[in-house]
Amino acid sequence: MRRYLLGRAARSLLTIFISVTLTFFIVRAMPSNPVELLINPYMSQETQDMLMQKYGLDKPLAVQYALFLKGLLQGDLGVSFSSRQPVAQVLLQKLPWTLLLIAIVMALVLGIGIPTGLLAARRRGKLADQVINVLVTLGISIFIPFLSFMFLYIFSYLLKVLPTGGAYTPPKPHGLTYVLDVARHAILPAATLAITNLANVVLYTRNSTLDVLGEDYVRTARAKGASPKRAMRVHVLRNAMIPTVTVVGLQVGVMVGGAVVTETIFAWPGIGRMLFEAIGALDYPILQGGFLLLSVSVVTMNFITDMLVGWLDPRIRLGGGRP
Amino acid sequence: MNQRENFARRFARSKSGMLGLIGVAIIVLAGLAAPLLARSPAGYSRDILLGPSAAHLLGTDNLGLDIGLEILWGARTSLYVSAVAVLISVGIGVPLGLVSGYSRSWVGETLDAAVDIFLTLPILPLMIIMAAIMGTSITNVALVIGLFSWPQLAKVCKNATLKISGMQYIEAAVCLGYSRGRILLHHVLRNITGPVLVNITLIMANSVLAESSLSFLGLGDPTAWSWGTILKRAWGNNAVINNPNPWWWWLAPSVCIIVFVVCFNMLGTAINDLLSPKTQA
Repeated sequence: MRRYLLGRAARSLLTIFISVTLTFFIVRAMPSNPVELLINPYMSQETQDMLMQKYGLDKPLAVQYALFLKGLLQGDLGVSFSSRQPVAQVLLQKLPWTLLLIAIVMALVLGIGIPTGLLAARRRGKLADQVINVLVTLGISIFIPFLSFMFLYIFSYLLKVLPTGGAYTPPKPHGLTYVLDVARHAILPAATLAITNLANVVLYTRNSTLDVLGEDYVRTARAKGASPKRAMRVHVLRNAMIPTVTVVGLQVGVMVGGAVVTETIFAWPGIGRMLFEAIGALDYPILQGGFLLLSVSVVTMNFITDMLVGWLDPRIRLGGGRP
Repeated sequence: MNQRENFARRFARSKSGMLGLIGVAIIVLAGLAAPLLARSPAGYSRDILLGPSAAHLLGTDNLGLDIGLEILWGARTSLYVSAVAVLISVGIGVPLGLVSGYSRSWVGETLDAAVDIFLTLPILPLMIIMAAIMGTSITNVALVIGLFSWPQLAKVCKNATLKISGMQYIEAAVCLGYSRGRILLHHVLRNITGPVLVNITLIMANSVLAESSLSFLGLGDPTAWSWGTILKRAWGNNAVINNPNPWWWWLAPSVCIIVFVVCFNMLGTAINDLLSPKTQA
């Protein structure tokens, strides 16, 4: 187990290092580099030189890269071009909102997706399975703005029961009303993001359950007198969960991408909305910091699912076998 | 009967596959024929926010642009972007997948690890940064999407290669002394076209979603007609929640995106079902 964990941890760190390097070079190697953006042509030559020096832009690329890495290790992500606040501070303000949204979505996806997948597998070929299959095909094809627009149209425009955006109604309420208010605002964005991510979980749960149901050891369990319920719970579920958990881990990257669009539409004050606003303002330090934070969250989630898979599957944690 | 004819016949029997194929054909034809069918939606007219009618089949937006025309011309953008994205990801993904699946040395291992890392990165935010920096042109958007769509294809290609390279005819080819390149091109590549094809339909679908999302976020080409850009303007003008509601403005382009993606996904699923030995009679 230890060797497996160490290997996974090393890979997580490598992934983070690669995303750091990617963003550094993407931001600097492109035609419109931050030097030109930061420096206004109407500034005097001295001011330009001073700014270049202040941001270390006069040094060779390799030195800049080393300085960037050093700053990163100290939690220094630079200063936002538009608000002049440190990027790390801006990110910390936005992060809880995105985490809240993702946590709700995860709970919904797992809580609805796994039972639905199991149902489809148990009713294979019957009506329930066919209906679920059609929904899954639609689900993997869904376009987030479309779904959000439908929700907004139905619940905010026609029925007028849910708010159109934001995370709470200003002025910021207190206590229980605040919690309820945030919950009301979270319904539509969370539902949108959950539905777009449900399909894959349902599909993988269904297919891996079908695979496991055909295994000899499930027949053995039934033959020795285990009830269908017990066979399902003890013998099928654990093994069927292995591919599902792996897929959920890989899904987090997609989910985070979807969060950018969802947060933008519903004006949810998280990292995604911040990225959208940074595009308009061409605020590169914010774009870079936001992407890094998202990568770190995705890598962390992947590490957690790797540990879960290792716990579920002794072949992985004990032997050299790869998942 | 040879295998290809057999495949075509079985494909013709699959309802969802044919539906997908017909849908894809209609979109491709409409996109190609757009300049012949209708003028480009140029200039501003006085017909502002009109509902669907005989003069404007899908209504007009707040600038008086005909949404039906915008959608027709937008199909060209979507097709162009997804075609470029497919070319780039096939160019990167297939060779990488072949080598990492066939090579038994550290090269294969390293490539495989690299592909895994790219699969975990949050791709849409990465595309956003790159598109924001490269500047908004439709070719840039296509390049960015292509540059980040290959990891999945590489993975699929690698798994298929791994399976094929264990086959006896590959062993036979090795014994005959064929070069690696020849084995990979003539023996492995020809036998993994199925999974590669399935993945290409997925890339087509996903790059349209990516293009629409990027355009929706304001990273599209302001001079090109795109379904995402129509949605962006509709959303920017509160079309979804305004009263009276210009529903045609946001509904029509959304439906087009979904139909495009569903058609390609159905096509892919049908090919996949035909290829998997479980469903073969």
